[in-house]
Amino acid sequence: MLPLLAGIGAPLVAPGAAVAAVATAPLLERRVKAAFLYKFLGYAEFPPHSFADATAPVTIGVVGADDMAAELGRIASGRVVAGRTIAVRTLREQDLAQPLHLLFVAGFEPARAARQLRASQALLTVTECEGGLQFGSVINFTIVDERVRFDVSLDAADKNNVKLSSRLLTVANRVQKGAS
Amino acid sequence: MLIPPLFMRAGTRIGLRAGAALLSCAWILQAHAQTSTQAASLPLADYSLEQLSDIVVTSVSRQEEPLARAAASVYVIQGAEIARSGATTLPEALRLAPNLQVARIDAHSYAISARGFVSPQANKLLVMIDGRSVYSPLFSGVFWEMQDVSLDDVARIEVVSGPGGTAWGANAVNGVINIITKSAAYTHCGVAALHAGADEQGASVRQGGRLAGGGHYRAYARSLRVDGGADDGLQGDGGLRRAQAGFRLDWDGEQDDVTFSGDMFDGRLRPDRLTPRTGFSGANLLGRIERRLDDDQSLRLQAWLDHTRREQNGIGAQRLETVDIEAQHLLRLGSHALSWGAGHRHSRDRIDNGPLLRFTPAHRTLRWSHLFVQDELALTPALRASAGVRIERNVYTGSELLPNLRLAWDVDERSMLWAALSRTVRAPARIDRDLYVLDPADPRGFLIAGGADTVSETARVAELGYRAQPTPTLSWSGTVFYTDFERLRSLESTPAMPGMPVSYVLGSLGKGNLRGVELWAAWEVARGWRLHAGGVLQDVDAGREPSSRDSTGLSGLAGNDPRVTWTLRSAHALAARWHADFSLRYVARLPQSAVPSYHELDARLAWQVRPDLEFALAGRNLLHASHAEYGAPGSRQLLERTVFASASLRF
Repeated sequence: MLPLLAGIGAPLVAPGAAVAAVATAPLLERRVKAAFLYKFLGYAEFPPHSFADATAPVTIGVVGADDMAAELGRIASGRVVAGRTIAVRTLREQDLAQPLHLLFVAGFEPARAARQLRASQALLTVTECEGGLQFGSVINFTIVDERVRFDVSLDAADKNNVKLSSRLLTVANRVQKGAS
Repeated sequence: MLIPPLFMRAGTRIGLRAGAALLSCAWILQAHAQTSTQAASLPLADYSLEQLSDIVVTSVSRQEEPLARAAASVYVIQGAEIARSGATTLPEALRLAPNLQVARIDAHSYAISARGFVSPQANKLLVMIDGRSVYSPLFSGVFWEMQDVSLDDVARIEVVSGPGGTAWGANAVNGVINIITKSAAYTHCGVAALHAGADEQGASVRQGGRLAGGGHYRAYARSLRVDGGADDGLQGDGGLRRAQAGFRLDWDGEQDDVTFSGDMFDGRLRPDRLTPRTGFSGANLLGRIERRLDDDQSLRLQAWLDHTRREQNGIGAQRLETVDIEAQHLLRLGSHALSWGAGHRHSRDRIDNGPLLRFTPAHRTLRWSHLFVQDELALTPALRASAGVRIERNVYTGSELLPNLRLAWDVDERSMLWAALSRTVRAPARIDRDLYVLDPADPRGFLIAGGADTVSETARVAELGYRAQPTPTLSWSGTVFYTDFERLRSLESTPAMPGMPVSYVLGSLGKGNLRGVELWAAWEVARGWRLHAGGVLQDVDAGREPSSRDSTGLSGLAGNDPRVTWTLRSAHALAARWHADFSLRYVARLPQSAVPSYHELDARLAWQVRPDLEFALAGRNLLHASHAEYGAPGSRQLLERTVFASASLRF
């Protein structure tokens, strides 16, 4: 899954990896986003009834980016959040109806993201497309100054009964609240 | 001194159309010093939220690591920086790179170079757009007014100062500019933009989306009109009009990534006192497949076709067709990362000679072939070495050898020291061998002729660099370089013959050296406020061999370089929806045509009305009513203070 040739960005000699782009590993951007998704779990409080019992794992679904699901799987293995293990699922569009704690909708097409969000039952929904919050996601990734940042919709979080810590909100790029 | 200026005009303005092309394109050495050093660093999942928010991801790049690990002097202009700079053309965007010298000559012409030899015929800089060379085999420079890209779709521009011969081939002597556009997977929405000011107006539109078969597409069209200097009523104002359209298709599969792209353009330059009416057009098509063979190997195949036409009234015309194919194979064997490949380029041109300027033969087929191999080896977890060589064959001088040797030492997790030794060449172009500037007084005589004996200019380069990111918000890079040039192009006077005018023949009897320092830094002062500073201090010393009869002092050929250039930029998010950008630059005086030193300021204020709508007001050259950047008094155009407004809508 992670070919050695990955990460070719550091050609010693020819900096312009540009055209050659042989990389096959997740992009750095995707790795950073995957790390964020994992971190979000630590700053979100899910309703108790969303867990079948005290040992039930936190469930993460990823649709549209199998590589990110794999990356998340690697991150999650051996880690716990609030005493629970993390289960990562690679989803297809038809699998969206299942209950999930966190759903990541990959892709930059607003129309598709909106459709997938509507089909989802997930509590903490995360998108990465322009205007993602408008379609009801709780967190939307953006790129600001070449860095991965995220916007948060408190209304969507409230609606889904997810409590987000203020620590998360201070790092957010923008926080939407009220009708805005 | 009459001759060199005439020659210079011949080089640049001559209505020859040029095209894409010399030497093989970019493959890129993907050698990667294994991840042993990275493995030691913290997994991203253990970073804090703040630290994650501060990792620079080249959002559209497939590069896993930032270029921070490259053992070369590279500055990367990010696509977002271009938008915020207010640049409307490629040359203006290149002003963002501190390691380039950019001098605007008039409405459409630029003199651009890295590490000296700035002139409209600057011939030691290789320029590529998505792997397609736009270097003209006619005069071994770039017709900048013919090069355009959809700036909104540019992922980044990598500007390498210094030699890149082993990676990119002959002519990457003093620098390489790699313009890389985004994959169509990242440009799914539509964008329409307009800008207008007193002397420049432009419009562009782009639409992108998903293809039925899982691929991605985008298509764009843009047009630009730039007015020239004051119209004297007799000739015209020397303005530019240009239109371009193109597309890109991308499929990212499990095993193969496939890209297809193409562009076509058409433009004209209105005449002015110095330039006749000029028309140009062109089209290109590129295909690329990258295949992962297994975990340790990958293969990349690329082919492109390019056609250009350039004609200047009363001077001549050139048509050029180029086909280029290349392949590279990357292979990991233990601690070695090996890459090797080969390529071939075939160009055919046809020149309609004018009354004063003649290329003989008028048709010529040019061929370049290359073979390269490069090995990168992790000597210790912190020390990487790479050695490579390229053999490139051209029709003028046969085989040229382009070796290099590089060392990179990760001093600690935040800093790197590197050193490099390279030999590189600029192979002769049509102008060096096949040119005749006829004597208007005697049609059988000539003033300047290409030299049958011109050979490749060679450069031997030593570089030492240091790059560091001492804190998450501060990074800097410094490079010192020394280049020894031999066989630089010279203009040799022919032996005096009674009754014959003095004439000149191009030779290879120039020599020289170049030394200097490049420094740049970026500092995130506060969230939403970034400062960039950069500068170059350099000294170009051109001379000639004792046997040379060049009495022009290499004036027309060696360039005309400022000793110091620097820029200071500020990018500031004033409020959630307001962005202010300033760029102050200084260029020291140019020695030869007595262009005074200057400071100039560009500024842009942008208002994001809605997420999909932005208005901006931009000003260029705000400090002075007018200033000159290049050319002799009397013939140069003064660049005036200018302000324009722009609007951009995403849909």
